[in-house]
Order: sequence, then structure tokens, then C-alpha cells
Amino acid sequence: MKTPREILFVRHQTAAPKLDAIRREVVEAAADVNRRKQPVRELTFADTLANAIRLSFRELVWPCRRIWVGLATVWVLILAANVSLREQSPAIAKSGPSSEMMMTLKDQQKILTELVTDRSAPRDVDRQKSFSPKPRTEGMEIMTV
Amino acid sequence: MKMPAVAEREQLPVQQAREGKPEAWDILFRRYQLPLYVYVFELVHHEQTSLDLVQETFIAAVRHIGGLRDDAKFGSWLFGIAHQKCLQCWRKQNREDVPLGEIPETPDELESGPDDLLIRQEQEAEFMQLLNRLPLPQRSVLLLHFVEDFSIEEIARITETQPGTVKSRMHYAKRALRKLLEEEK
Repeated sequence: MKTPREILFVRHQTAAPKLDAIRREVVEAAADVNRRKQPVRELTFADTLANAIRLSFRELVWPCRRIWVGLATVWVLILAANVSLREQSPAIAKSGPSSEMMMTLKDQQKILTELVTDRSAPRDVDRQKSFSPKPRTEGMEIMTV
Repeated sequence: MKMPAVAEREQLPVQQAREGKPEAWDILFRRYQLPLYVYVFELVHHEQTSLDLVQETFIAAVRHIGGLRDDAKFGSWLFGIAHQKCLQCWRKQNREDVPLGEIPETPDELESGPDDLLIRQEQEAEFMQLLNRLPLPQRSVLLLHFVEDFSIEEIARITETQPGTVKSRMHYAKRALRKLLEEEK
């Protein structure tokens, strides 16, 4: 006497080698997928930084490289001009001020001191004009009239 | 080959398979390849189609293992995939409509185990013939019961039907089988 399960399994036992082949094929494919999913190695901070730089260069700089080259050239020219001007300015500083220049400077200083002393001492007339106290009631009377 | 009377519930490396370990998949597929093939073959009755469907089931299992919540339900989940593949195959070939709910009443009696039906050697051919004469939904339910001893709830999940419907189908299929075997006596 056999159970239905036994009958069914014995009946299909001949398919076992083909099923084994299918199983091996699928397991190999699954292993391949798994291998592809796994990262090759852990990324360090330096790797991440290098990747970020490489990526930003590729995304930002490389597509408009001509513009960047133009800007770089302008900056180089500005820098060169700046350096050449710096070389000239010490020669001017070394020569010192002339006697005429010193005279005009002294004159201007004199005028400035005169102007300053006049303004610093206010006249008495101005002071009187600026302050003339009156009783408050007078003001109020005018308003009521 | 020594065949266990009923399918055994063993500890299977489902978690390892989920982690992508090929050895785990090998163990799982080795365990289920023949039961799956038996189930599929007895539904489609074509060797190459059955082998293709088993392969497709395995591939789908590898792809969608992330969707399996309960590891203990791996077997029924795998049979559920195979069942869906069979339905797709039928729809493609348009060979047979799958009648649903053809049995109106749910019997009250509790179903017995898959071993209550013992078949003599001379009855084996008749048993297979009768099994193949059963309507597809009844055959499907009975095969799941015989091959893996799935519970009513598990069969309902696999076939995407109500447990009451599964009970009805099982009851009528078993009654038909018993009737034939008694007639043969």
C-alpha cells in the first residue's frame, strides 16, 4: 500500500537529473548576481574626496572648459599687471616730496587752523539770539485769544 | 529512494538565501524541486513546460525573496509562485478555463491527513487517471495536500481562494477518489 505522495514522487523520479541541472543553473545565476551586488572594497575618505573632485571636474569644469581657460588668462594678466605696478611704486616713494609741495601743504594747514579757531569761539550776539526765555502763560494767552 | 510518507517541516536556510548565499538557494531548491515539478506536471501534463515553469519559479523566487515576510512560509510562498506561473501558462495557451466556485456548499466535516488514502499497487494507474479527470481547482487543491501536506489556510493562500472553497474542493475530490477506489475493490 502506498500514499498518494509516494505514488506521485516515484512516478516523476525520472525528472530528477533535469531538475538538478535547472537548480544548478539558477543557483549559479543567483551567485553571479550576488557577486555583482557586492562592493569590491570599502571606500576610504580619500577615495570619496577624489571621486567628488573627479566628478565635479567632469560635471562643472570640462563642459565649459573654454570659458574657464578665458577666465584663467584674464586673471593671469591682472596678476602680471599688478606685479609690474608694484615694481614701479617704490621708485616714486624713494624720491620724496618737493619744496613747492611742502610750501603749499603748509599754506593749506594755516588756512585750516584759522577756520577751525573762528568756528570754535561763538559770538555773544548769536548766543543771546538763540536763548530768550518767556513765561509759559504768555504763550497760552495768545493761543486762547 | 526512501520517500517520507508526508512532507516534513524542517529548518530551512531562508534567511541565508535572502542574504544572497548560493549554498542556501541550493538547499532550498534541492528540497522543493521535485514536489514543485510533481505539482506543476500534474496540472499542465507536459514535461518541457513543467521544467520551464519550475525554472521560472526558481528565478522569480531569487528575485522576489525580499517580499517574503515569514520564513516559515517559504514553501507555500514558492508553491504560490508556481501556481501563478501555471495560471499564466493556461491563459497563454487558452486551453482550459479555470472554473472557480463550482462547488456551492462547504462540508462541515474536518479533512483528514494525506495518508488516510492508501492505494494498492494495482490501483495506482486508476488513481492517476482519476486524479487527472478531476476539475483543475479540485486537482490543484488535492495535489497541494498530497505533495506537501499544506494546511487549508496555506492552500487558500497559494491558490488565492477562500479557505471554505478549499475545504469544499478537497472534500469533493477525496470523495470522488474514495468512490473510485471502492468500486475497484
